[in-house]
Amino acid sequence: MDEDNISGKILSLLEEDPGMSAGEISKTLSISIAVVEKTLEKMTDTREKVLIVDDELDALVSLKIALEAEGYNVVEAKNGHDAMEKVQLEIPDVILLDLMIPGIDGLEVCRQLKSDDLYRHIPVIMLTARGEIDDKVEGIELGADDYVTKPFNLKELKARIKMILRRNIDM
Amino acid sequence: MFERINKWNLIIFFVVVVLLIGSIFFLWMKTNMEVRSVVEEQYQNQQLLLTKQAASSIERSLVEKILLIEVIAKKESGIPPDNFASDMKSVHDVAGLFYVIEFVDKNGTIVAGYPEEHVPYDYNLYEHGQYSAFERVRASGKVYITDPIELIEGNYGSFVWFPVFQNGVFSGAFIAIIEETELKRSYVVESGTSDHAYLIDGRGRFLYDESGRYERGSHYVDILSLDTSGMGSIIAEQMNGTAGSGKFFVYASDGFVVEDRLVSYVPINWYNQRWSLAITSPASKVDELIVPVYVKLFIVAVVSVIFIVFVSSLIFLILFNWNKSLENEVDEKTRELKVSNESLIDANKKLKELDRLKTEFLSIVSHELKTPLTAMKTSSEFLRENDVYDASLKNQMLDIIIRNIDRQARMVDELLDVSRIESNRMKFRADQVNIEDVIVGALEILDASIKQKEMEVIIHTPANLPLVITDKDKLVQVFVNLLNNAVKFSNQKGTIIINVKEEKEFVKISITDKGSGMNNWELENIFDKFYQIDSTSTRRFGGSGLGLSIVKGIIEGQGGKITVQSELGKGSTFTFTLKRG
Repeated sequence: MDEDNISGKILSLLEEDPGMSAGEISKTLSISIAVVEKTLEKMTDTREKVLIVDDELDALVSLKIALEAEGYNVVEAKNGHDAMEKVQLEIPDVILLDLMIPGIDGLEVCRQLKSDDLYRHIPVIMLTARGEIDDKVEGIELGADDYVTKPFNLKELKARIKMILRRNIDM
Repeated sequence: MFERINKWNLIIFFVVVVLLIGSIFFLWMKTNMEVRSVVEEQYQNQQLLLTKQAASSIERSLVEKILLIEVIAKKESGIPPDNFASDMKSVHDVAGLFYVIEFVDKNGTIVAGYPEEHVPYDYNLYEHGQYSAFERVRASGKVYITDPIELIEGNYGSFVWFPVFQNGVFSGAFIAIIEETELKRSYVVESGTSDHAYLIDGRGRFLYDESGRYERGSHYVDILSLDTSGMGSIIAEQMNGTAGSGKFFVYASDGFVVEDRLVSYVPINWYNQRWSLAITSPASKVDELIVPVYVKLFIVAVVSVIFIVFVSSLIFLILFNWNKSLENEVDEKTRELKVSNESLIDANKKLKELDRLKTEFLSIVSHELKTPLTAMKTSSEFLRENDVYDASLKNQMLDIIIRNIDRQARMVDELLDVSRIESNRMKFRADQVNIEDVIVGALEILDASIKQKEMEVIIHTPANLPLVITDKDKLVQVFVNLLNNAVKFSNQKGTIIINVKEEKEFVKISITDKGSGMNNWELENIFDKFYQIDSTSTRRFGGSGLGLSIVKGIIEGQGGKITVQSELGKGSTFTFTLKRG
């Protein structure tokens, strides 16, 4: 039983009986209470969701910790395929996309997202160790909304994320 | 291409040669004809001269002889009592030409003569009706010569009549008979033996024909029969009393030309007789004169032709060879150009590939250096901005920082190694090294990861393993790199076999794993800088991708060799050699 289904069923149960506890739901749907609790927590999480796509574990973890401390809900992906899956599953509010990732590379991920009507609206901030101007131009042409060069300044990155999210809400 | 053009060249060439040869033979023929006509003319001139000589000698001799008789005929002393008998005798003896000399008295009776045996004494002309000539000289008072007449004796002779006047009164006549044989002797002898002479009188009758073709007395009308041509006009000229030369042809009965003869004719004027002497000779006599010239000219022509053929074949051969060698040269040059072009294209490809590799290398280096910096920077900025009371979170961040500093340092070391290897500046110490010590050292460094994967390492070394001369630290680096790879690409509880054996002046070491192995493309590139088995492998397995290229640099830098054998899914074996101590 996948997550969507679970959350949909939990929702319909809660509609019938708003006072239903997690234990009762778990019994009714015959799934573990932990899963129910986790799903409920996810469903009630109102934080903005950031998807970080990076294959460097240390960079990913440190950025995740930093952004979580800032109050974002951070989802991680380690390669291109993983990233596409997570986008469809989580519908993040913003994507931090490293260019040099295994599988489908960052540029291709960006191109696919921006050519898909369902995900075109999600802003993409490109992260890359390469500082070459060509990459920047190509990234912007493919529809990346912003561009940050590694190693970035944490404050600057956070400011850019905030700005992009606000601009998106305004729209 | 050459074949087609050459065919036409050849045809033109041969046409020119044939024209040249043809013109030589044409000139040869023309020259022959000219030479022939010149020689013929010369010959005829000579013949004419000869004829003239013969004719004049005949004429002179006849006139002289007759003058002798005229002298006695005109004696003023009158008819001597012996009727000139003694005079006639002396004339006959002196002249030696006359058959007989007779004296006829005024009545027409032969009264005297010499030699007496030929004299018909008392023969009266009137009685025998033979008086016409007698009458004629009496009337004219001039010497008269008859045409040759058949004599009583059966042969031919001309009668020469001399009137004798005494004090203006006709008193008789001399008759001198010149036998033809006498006459003949003078010119037949003088003309050449192979040539023929003939004599005609003023009316075109043959008096003599040496060739025997024509009967005595036969008329020129008969001669204009079918068996000759051109002779008629010659005879006409002769009858006109002119001297000259000509040519006539003698036909055989079947109409073919038997021979052509050159003829020269000269008139002989002997009192009233107008004769014409002709000497003919076959035109082949001219040919005889010309043939050597012909032959020489022919030889010249043939030599010229041979020369032309030789020179033209030489030219042809030279042109042909030249053409061929030119073509060969062009082919050669084309081939060379092609080869150099290909090598240029190849070089260009390699340069482009090198350029691409350089760009890629730079971008990878930049990535590899910036990635740990990013993690460090993010973590340290986070720590500075937030008051972190959670010790585990703080430690996690600090661990990230430390780990990435190590990674950065390692990366820099490796880059320096690569740079040294590439510029041949890597320095190797020459230690006497025991390989087993090195292997043990390397395994200690990798102890953690080996234990983590629960792997078994089997080491085969021969007894009395010799020391090797190498840089010990770098050999450790080689083993660490290779063993680390072996561990990385092996499955849990895998086996690694290290095999050491002697081979001549080298020691051969192989490290075999039973791991994932490589495909051909991976095998080809395994020692390239930054090559990682698929670009995710760095992340999955760690490592910068410089390790194997450094290993190769270290081994080859010390005169050894490194090779790899691998089968996808079955594992890999890296084999390298080191110099013995």
